[in-house]
Amino acid sequence: MKSTLNSIISKQKWLPIALANMVFAALLAIVSPVFLTLSNFQSMLIQSGVTAIMAIGMTFIIITAGIDISMGAILFFCSALFAQLLQDTQSYWLAFSAAIACATLLGTINGVLVTRFKISPLITTLATYSIYRGMAIHLTGAQNIPVPREMGFLGNGKLFGLPVPIILLIVIFILGVYLLNHTRLGLYAKAIGSSARSANESNLPVTKVTVAVYAIGGMVTGISALILLARVGGLQSGIGIGIEFTVIAAVILGGTKLTGGSGTIVGSVFGAFFLVLIDNGLNLVNASPYIYDIVRGSVLLAAVAVDRLSAKRQESRLIQIKKQRLEHNHATN
Amino acid sequence: MLNDNNTPLLSFRGLTKSFSGKTVVNGVSFDLYPGQVVGLIGENGAGKSTTKNMLCGLLEPTAGKIFVNGQLVEKNEGHVHGISAVHQELSLFGALTVAENMCIGQLPGSATKINWKKVEEIAQEQLDFLGIEIDTSATVESLGAGKQQIVEIGKALLHADKVLILDEPTTSLTAVEREKLFVLIDKLSTRGIAIIFISHFLEEIYRVCDHYIVLRDGTQVDSGLLANVPQRKLEEMMVGRTIDNANVQHSQPHGGEALRVEQLSSADFKDVSFNVKQGEILGIAGLMGAGRTEVAEAIFGLRPSTGSVYINGVKTENRTVDSMKQLSACYLPEDRRTNGLFLNRPVRENLSAAAIYRFIKQGITKLGFAGESHVSQKIVNDMGIAIPHIEVRVDALSGGNQQKVLLSRWMATEPKLFILDEPTKGVDIGAKFDIHTKIINLAKNGAAIVIVSSDLPELLNVSQRILVMRRGKMVGEFQREAFDSVKIISLAASSNDKGEGR
Repeated sequence: MKSTLNSIISKQKWLPIALANMVFAALLAIVSPVFLTLSNFQSMLIQSGVTAIMAIGMTFIIITAGIDISMGAILFFCSALFAQLLQDTQSYWLAFSAAIACATLLGTINGVLVTRFKISPLITTLATYSIYRGMAIHLTGAQNIPVPREMGFLGNGKLFGLPVPIILLIVIFILGVYLLNHTRLGLYAKAIGSSARSANESNLPVTKVTVAVYAIGGMVTGISALILLARVGGLQSGIGIGIEFTVIAAVILGGTKLTGGSGTIVGSVFGAFFLVLIDNGLNLVNASPYIYDIVRGSVLLAAVAVDRLSAKRQESRLIQIKKQRLEHNHATN
Repeated sequence: MLNDNNTPLLSFRGLTKSFSGKTVVNGVSFDLYPGQVVGLIGENGAGKSTTKNMLCGLLEPTAGKIFVNGQLVEKNEGHVHGISAVHQELSLFGALTVAENMCIGQLPGSATKINWKKVEEIAQEQLDFLGIEIDTSATVESLGAGKQQIVEIGKALLHADKVLILDEPTTSLTAVEREKLFVLIDKLSTRGIAIIFISHFLEEIYRVCDHYIVLRDGTQVDSGLLANVPQRKLEEMMVGRTIDNANVQHSQPHGGEALRVEQLSSADFKDVSFNVKQGEILGIAGLMGAGRTEVAEAIFGLRPSTGSVYINGVKTENRTVDSMKQLSACYLPEDRRTNGLFLNRPVRENLSAAAIYRFIKQGITKLGFAGESHVSQKIVNDMGIAIPHIEVRVDALSGGNQQKVLLSRWMATEPKLFILDEPTKGVDIGAKFDIHTKIINLAKNGAAIVIVSSDLPELLNVSQRILVMRRGKMVGEFQREAFDSVKIISLAASSNDKGEGR
């Protein structure tokens, strides 16, 4: 029984975080009567939308054993570009398309740098994080720029009775799941993360795929940027600071390994929900705003520790098997 | 069968490969017909892998010709010509499923829609063809080494199914898995696939092959029909050179016991016991993967083990390289480039690293390393390390000079016990002789020395006693008077466990 549970979890890596969501939600429902209201749920979903969408992109990157620290900076740059262009030209379409194109381009630059110079993605994107954020500040002259009221539609508006950010999340989620599980890009990404050496030996398009996943990461960050901008109501200098931590935490909580090779989109989205759930819980019990970060960090640490422990158990089991094989070998020889 | 049996599937003439002027393979020729299984045999470093890489298109030969179906191949691209190779290190993706691994090179369906049903079908069909039951949806990392090997073979044959090259395919397999692999090879051969089987387990060669090619020092010693050659003859051809023991003046082991190992066990070896006296040189022979390096590492606490280790009769607890250094014992690892040397630092620092405290006696008042340069220069002169000056970075040195640097570094601490793992691997003949002389002199001066080596002539030449390990166990012991290379090889490579020589 226990072994079948283990094997299910090892195949469906998103299950633990889904269960954690349910358990924690049930707990909150008992503690607070406000929790189970529709409006609370809707606001949680909207809150998680921005990070969940980015987490979908980040999942692809981490599956190739990469990482993108610069996502928060891309988010900020896009918001700045959009707000500035809208203010200068009053053209929504121009601002929209320029922002998304630019986000994709910045992601692509990350990918090109990582593949071209074979520098660790951590260092590369740490550098571009600084560059992108600096460029954005340069662009706007460090001004706060308000966006017109009708932009709010993207953040709070409804379409077919559903909040727009949720619709966007669902669409990107479906696309992401399809891309990861049914296209060559998805399979190659997993392969590269599983063994870069084998990927090269098998003549897989390693460079193309790696650049593509960073480009995807950039693009979804662009979409998130617009949603966030719409919700906040204008460009502020604090936008996007530290968001990459939340995004990476969501992906890791969702069961994707930092070492690459395997991971699921569902898990990452559940991971993003979970982080919002924690915030919500802290909010409902009137916790001090200062402990939010401490709790988030601790949760991430705990999740990684649990994963590490189970991996270690499996490792020692493998050593045990190896020992038995060796003895068996002696016996049969 | 696609080919008639009169045209060789693959033939090669005078294959030669040189790296920066050094010829590693010289003039290998053979004709490979459908269904043939050819054993490519030779000692470590004889040129088997280089030959393999030329045949599967990973390396371009410096000279020589390759023909496929009688047609001259200008540029060998391996799988294009139906030649595939399964390398020692498998090119699989652990996190992906069996089916995904097998089909990843040529995925059915379009780039935006993989035909998963077809992927399953292809993989299942291939596994059925190989006659092995493996769950196609299992991840490769969840499989044992034997099944991983089969998946790799299946993957290889999907792309190129005329000639299959297997490089040391049995090293990580259990006895049962090995037998399954042999049955599979037999089956592939009856279907007209030609197989090149690289191994130094001669029993395995006789079990699966019908022809053989023997390489020694990069040249083809002999080839032909296996049935015409007794195993002993083959072993002699592999070892080749007669060993001249006359010029080696050994000292007699004098003094007490320097090292005693009792019942040492770990995941890779079991119940290993032996001892070495002061002034004695003990060789440990065995094939790659026999557990020799692991034993050495366990003695120095580099891997967890059970059992006891005594240094000069005193039992050791919680061994580390540093605590062993306090006991005047040192270990020179097999892979000196990654485990021993500071590659991007100058020779001077590499020489002083282990005895650094000798040079910083000045303490705080006078920072710096008094006498370091002077001592390093002296060592360089004494050891005959051929470098322009002692500030040369170690990665610029030849293998032989690197090994001398590593050996000298530890000699500076004046150890009483050396464990040397493959001390002359990748070292040219001249430096090899120098190192052997140093080792013998060290023993004469009272040090106890353990040499782990895959180079049997080296062990025969230098050591006073040889222990043989096979698949994690000590299986034999030979005194110098009773040294017999053929006996030692067959003991190390045999697949039964009857001890000999004890």
